[in-house]
Amino acid sequence: MEVIRNIFDLSDIPRKDLTVFGIFSLFLLIFPLIPHSSFAMATMIEFLMFSLYGMGWNTIGGYGGQVDLGKAQYAGIGAFTTAVMLIHWNIPFWISAPVGMIFAIIWSFAIGYPLFRMRGHYFAIATIATSLVLLDVFQSWNFVGAAKGLELPLKSMPSLLYLQFRSDTYYYYILLFLFFFGFFYINWFRKSRLGFQLRAIKDNEEVARSLGINVHWCKIKTYAIATSFVAVVGSFHACYNFNIDPEDIMSLDLSILIAMMAMVGGAGSLWGPIIGAAVLIPLKSYLGSWLGGKEGLAGLDLVIYALIIMIIAAFEPRGIWGIVEKARKRGKI
Amino acid sequence: MGAFTSGMIQSIVSALLMGMVFALVALGLTIIFGVMNIVNFAHGEFLMVGMYACLLFSTMTGLDTLASLPFAAIVGFLLGVMCYYGLVKYLLRGPMIAQLFGTFGLMLLLRNLALLIFGSEPRIAHHGILVGRSFVIGHGIVLEATKLTAAGFSIILFLTVSWILNHTKVGKALTATALNAEAARYMGIPTERMNALAWGIGGATVTICGALLVNFWPVDPNIGLLFTMIAFATVALGGFGNIKGAFYAGIIIGFLIYIPTFWDTTTMAIGDKALRGIHLFSFKYTFVYLAYFLIMVFRPHGLFGIKE
Repeated sequence: MEVIRNIFDLSDIPRKDLTVFGIFSLFLLIFPLIPHSSFAMATMIEFLMFSLYGMGWNTIGGYGGQVDLGKAQYAGIGAFTTAVMLIHWNIPFWISAPVGMIFAIIWSFAIGYPLFRMRGHYFAIATIATSLVLLDVFQSWNFVGAAKGLELPLKSMPSLLYLQFRSDTYYYYILLFLFFFGFFYINWFRKSRLGFQLRAIKDNEEVARSLGINVHWCKIKTYAIATSFVAVVGSFHACYNFNIDPEDIMSLDLSILIAMMAMVGGAGSLWGPIIGAAVLIPLKSYLGSWLGGKEGLAGLDLVIYALIIMIIAAFEPRGIWGIVEKARKRGKI
Repeated sequence: MGAFTSGMIQSIVSALLMGMVFALVALGLTIIFGVMNIVNFAHGEFLMVGMYACLLFSTMTGLDTLASLPFAAIVGFLLGVMCYYGLVKYLLRGPMIAQLFGTFGLMLLLRNLALLIFGSEPRIAHHGILVGRSFVIGHGIVLEATKLTAAGFSIILFLTVSWILNHTKVGKALTATALNAEAARYMGIPTERMNALAWGIGGATVTICGALLVNFWPVDPNIGLLFTMIAFATVALGGFGNIKGAFYAGIIIGFLIYIPTFWDTTTMAIGDKALRGIHLFSFKYTFVYLAYFLIMVFRPHGLFGIKE
């Protein structure tokens, strides 16, 4: 009972925030009922996917302060497990996603153990290196389709079991369910023992260690939590896109984008990844479709994107949520 | 001399030459890291800027690509200094994560500006004194003039930079800043300007490298990441901030990248069908990433590094 109460306990969060989040949740719930273009729907699905990715990253990167730039490898593990199991053994999503998650967690333990002997930028670069090694392996591994990737066979649609639908609305609601699940999990996580230990580590590792916290093990556990979020969304991505290739789902760009959600929104806060994804994803897709299509303007959308990242990194490292909190301290909001 | 021996010697020579080029790529990164303890994710993009600067200069003036080296150096120096005063100065006030993302943003910016200006098709220098020239020594051992020149410049630049650091007043001020910025400031060294200078020198060395590289390596806007990773691996191997170490580490990296070639030469000599079926070429760079990972786990201060 205690646990369930803790999961839904939002009492430490200001009323105003909860009101805003409530209105936003209501909007998310009724969004498919509002007339919308299919592009808007695709953007919303991407927003939900990236806020989940971001929530996962936020545990280790935000609360733990360990900048991980190799999350895409776990998205890849999840996606390829789902795809391979469906193609070879006809196993539905709801079984293959947890299996993919377990694979990803095993891999995260295997590389997390040596990885967390490093700190700071050494750690960040090493995560990139591991991710690129795995990408190279997947690109020449014939069982998972090598560089061409895999195409998922079509089942009789709609099929909840295999997560194959003609209409995006179904995907949307399944993701929305995962979104709220992830949100309340993070809400529990941040007040859990591990969450407090992690924040202690972020503030000062030596002090945390002297207080008897097993720093190394704490980081590895949290890394696995972050991994499971990413792996599940990766599995979902495979079912949603019907087509995965390693270059697409395991690239460094995805890793960075995942980290960017929490970073821009505000790393280490409950709202950070959601705000980040809500700002960055629509910006990216609308800028991309508006500028990318024009002749000779390819790349301009990402230039604008890069400028935003640089400005935020230089002037408000705590992201958009940092700006809100600053304003709140001055008593404006 | 048998085919195996000459093949082996050819691979060793190529690995050695490329290794020196990789060392030159890493030189700028290790200077910047040594002086101010910050990683520059945009390092490979600086290289790309150098490559494009060289191409642009030689097509606009009609001069040889070698003549563009001073131009590339100036562009790199200005780019480095501008990046320092425009971005890095502010990033230093924030936490480590801000530095990572700030320089990452810089990388995205440079890459996409290049895409916007030059388009995505790969380009390479087509004419020049060096391009296409090679020397044949012995039996089937070919030395490409372009790679030889690049390796030569690598040695020259390494010697110059270590001479500047050890024997000039500016260099000593830089070293002092690297050792202890606060103490250096008390001694009256303008550390802010020293940081900018480190970025300038770092930028200039890597753009010179780019101008040499474009003679034999096609440039496209996405080339940066590969070289950034190679440079990170080199710097890690040599010890962060260790200039002499970076040179030797670069050569080791060169040999790592040539592992598939060595493998092919060996299996060809053995003639075993099953072994020849194993193609390592798609894992060309995997060895580099693995090397970074293993070095960081087991020897975090580099192969030649000294424990602080």
